[in-house]
Amino acid sequence: MRSDGSGSWPLSLAIAAALLAGCSHQTTHAAGKRMIVLGIDGMDPDFVARHWDSLPNLNRLHQQGDFRRLATTIPPQSPVAWSTVSTGLDPGGHGLFDFIHRNPATREPISSMAEVSDPKNTLHIGPYVIPLSSGTVESLRHGRTFWQLLGEHGIPATVIRMPANFPPAECEQESLAGMGTPDLNGSFGTFSFYTNDPAETRSEVSGGHIIHLPPKSTSAVLRIEGPPNTLRKDRAVSYVSLTVHADPTAAVARFDAPEQQFVIRQGEWSDWQRADFTLIPGIKSVSGIFRIYLQQVHPYWRIYVSPVNIDPGEPALPISTPADYSRTLETKLGPFYTQGIAEETSAFRAGILSKGEFLEQSRKVLADSLRMFHYELRHFSSGLLFYYFSSIDQNSHMLWGKYDDDLLDIYKQVDSAVGDAMAVPDTELLILSDHGFARFDRAVHLNTWLMQQGYLTLDDPTKTGDDEEFAHVNWNRTEAYALGLNGIYLNLYGRENGGIVSPADKEDLLNEIAQKLLEFRDPVNGEHVVDKVFFSSTAYRGKNLRLAPDIIVGFRRGYRASWQTALGAVPPVMLEDNNQAWIADHCMNPDEVPGVLFCNRKFRAAHPQMADVPATILSEFGVPLAPGMLGHTVF
Amino acid sequence: MRPACWGIRCSELDVFNAIVNAVLRAFFAAFSWAGTNGAWLSLTLLSVLVGVGMLWVFRKTSDQGAIRAVKRKVHAYLLEMRVYVDDPGATWRAQNSLLKANLRYMGLALRPALFMVVPVGILLIHLEAFYGRAPLEPGRPVVVTAGLRGNADGPPPELVPPRGFEISAPPVRIPDEHEVSWRIVPRVAASGELHFQIGGQSITQDIVAGGGQRFIPGRRVHSAWDAIWHPDESRLPAGKIEWVEVAYPSASLGVFGIHMNWLVWFLIVSMLAALLLRKRFGVTL
Repeated sequence: MRSDGSGSWPLSLAIAAALLAGCSHQTTHAAGKRMIVLGIDGMDPDFVARHWDSLPNLNRLHQQGDFRRLATTIPPQSPVAWSTVSTGLDPGGHGLFDFIHRNPATREPISSMAEVSDPKNTLHIGPYVIPLSSGTVESLRHGRTFWQLLGEHGIPATVIRMPANFPPAECEQESLAGMGTPDLNGSFGTFSFYTNDPAETRSEVSGGHIIHLPPKSTSAVLRIEGPPNTLRKDRAVSYVSLTVHADPTAAVARFDAPEQQFVIRQGEWSDWQRADFTLIPGIKSVSGIFRIYLQQVHPYWRIYVSPVNIDPGEPALPISTPADYSRTLETKLGPFYTQGIAEETSAFRAGILSKGEFLEQSRKVLADSLRMFHYELRHFSSGLLFYYFSSIDQNSHMLWGKYDDDLLDIYKQVDSAVGDAMAVPDTELLILSDHGFARFDRAVHLNTWLMQQGYLTLDDPTKTGDDEEFAHVNWNRTEAYALGLNGIYLNLYGRENGGIVSPADKEDLLNEIAQKLLEFRDPVNGEHVVDKVFFSSTAYRGKNLRLAPDIIVGFRRGYRASWQTALGAVPPVMLEDNNQAWIADHCMNPDEVPGVLFCNRKFRAAHPQMADVPATILSEFGVPLAPGMLGHTVF
Repeated sequence: MRPACWGIRCSELDVFNAIVNAVLRAFFAAFSWAGTNGAWLSLTLLSVLVGVGMLWVFRKTSDQGAIRAVKRKVHAYLLEMRVYVDDPGATWRAQNSLLKANLRYMGLALRPALFMVVPVGILLIHLEAFYGRAPLEPGRPVVVTAGLRGNADGPPPELVPPRGFEISAPPVRIPDEHEVSWRIVPRVAASGELHFQIGGQSITQDIVAGGGQRFIPGRRVHSAWDAIWHPDESRLPAGKIEWVEVAYPSASLGVFGIHMNWLVWFLIVSMLAALLLRKRFGVTL
């Protein structure tokens, strides 16, 4: 026995040496390696190709490295596509199918990205509710992210503003939450507009409140609303008061906040203002930050107040890993936008901000982002740096095809950031976008189409309109309904509360609706409205389909589900011109709106897809893919 | 006839404020060698001195014998509560006696406290200019406001900033509040005098941007009553302008990497010094 054992020593040593060599090869492969990935939401390959001369850095990357169209997800929506980039799973795997999902029990629209729950155990004392356990904020995205996998293999990664990463995936990597991060009120961004202009008669617009001030006042008190006070039984909305004084004749005003004063002229934006919203006086408050735009002083007040962002210096909700990373950034850079989608498209759509004012605000968001990007670039030493830019996407929605010069300015600024990333030596650079863009000329009221095809029935056929959440739908006589920007759901027995479609009839009904969608023509010009129809049961390899729409509608270029459809309204007409400021979109046939993929190396893949990006990143660092990841390296 | 304040003629108040400021500025300047650590070092020493001063006042103004006696009683009643823990009646009586002894102790401490409150209060008000305000940050706008007697009628109010500062918005006249505000941006680290010209009156106010912690006057006032609370600069002459103020940001004192309001450090160190040195000074607290 002994001699056998001693006789195997040389062999064991040889094997051990070989294994160590293998390990050290892998370690060497990853050790000191640097990779920068820039996620540029909405960068369109055709727009880029039309403007190579104006985008010198992307052009250089194209010439010296490589450039491909990047196939997007079904549907081509940002939270969906970026979740595939994060996890390498298709929507059936990560479980995000739209910005908006529905609760099958109530058919109410819910956020697809995160869920905030109140504490389960509470103690009621007078008007207050004292939590005895903590509330939860939970990401609804499934799957392991590529930076979690990198971390497990000891490779450092910094991931800034990855969409659908709120709350941020738990890990020891540095990360900051992106799209999907709410404002302090819990919405995706609710602005406030204060005015005593008699021409303004609205009080609610999509994404904002309009607050009417007393007439003919040179001073006014602005009640800036914070979060609902969950420590009170009545959940009264917390607020801070801001007094504004106008000069009697000049277009300038002084704002008095509890601990600070500032003066702004008409047409100016304030710096970030910090406010503490009291929940229990002297004991508990939450901190928020906001900016003010003094649109007009005389003859009427017109004051825009941005959504109250989570204060990165004292975050009320988890927005970074480690938890104090947002505080570190705030200390180095000052306050910054934490709201997931910070460009003020809602106020532009509502006609509260003009195009010029929207552009100015948008430039501030980009400047904010570039400041953080350059900070991260300076501090990047090894591993992976992922940085996300939202500006091209949000500006494309408002400028595409109509104000191309303004849009090109945004592209140029991002191109400049690309140049800065290219200047980092010995670093692999990968640039991608989640989708491209197309004009949004005609709005499709899918629920109205379903009604006219006999799949959706109202209590009273005359009660069509913009009332949301299927206000007048008769569920006992409704087989299908639309919610979100691409989805149609069957009113399925056993899944939907009170569903009437038998599972046995599901297949036939889906085929029937799909056929009719493909035959759907625009009565104005005779064009097909829908290019492709996908069934979630067959389009995805992942089986996490609990919240998936049954049908994903691939609209033809130029068509998109209406805003009313997204929230379950049934307007009187099937189609109408899109006359809003939101003039372009991408929630269409995925083939029509591919993204971009650039690299400072040559690709081997001819037709790369979203899921290939995380596979490529992991492969470059020698980290094996997690089970279920679909992509392959592009090299 | 000069206005008076609590029986003190205003000229005397001005002289007193000027002397206190001069002494404190000299004291603060003595720590200039310590650079950015000068603020907390000087405050620490000052707090120790105040602690010692408070001990001295306490010894001179309190009935030390009575305090010692009442403290012995407190200890006795505490002991009684422990010894007779099984006798509710005795415990109850001991608690009552303990409460009375505590009240008696507080009464004995009241006299020296009354002697200390005015000088310490005055000192704290003066120290705010040294430790409570941070210099303006170059590039960051700040509001400068003048409070007026009546409205700002007549010629438009004027403000001329010193070199290195820029007015970046027209003045905001607020008739209801009798105030005029300007937005000023320090372009570089600099200091100098703001020149106000309002209603025929010309006055100046110091302004400071950039650099380390130092003496930073906040509000300059005309009224004698206000001068007690804002003693940093000489009072304004009678006229249209009641007060002028630069809205400096609050300073925080960094001690071993922990940032806090200067008053917190002052109270901690002065009380700690008094506690540690009480036996050396033969004081029963």
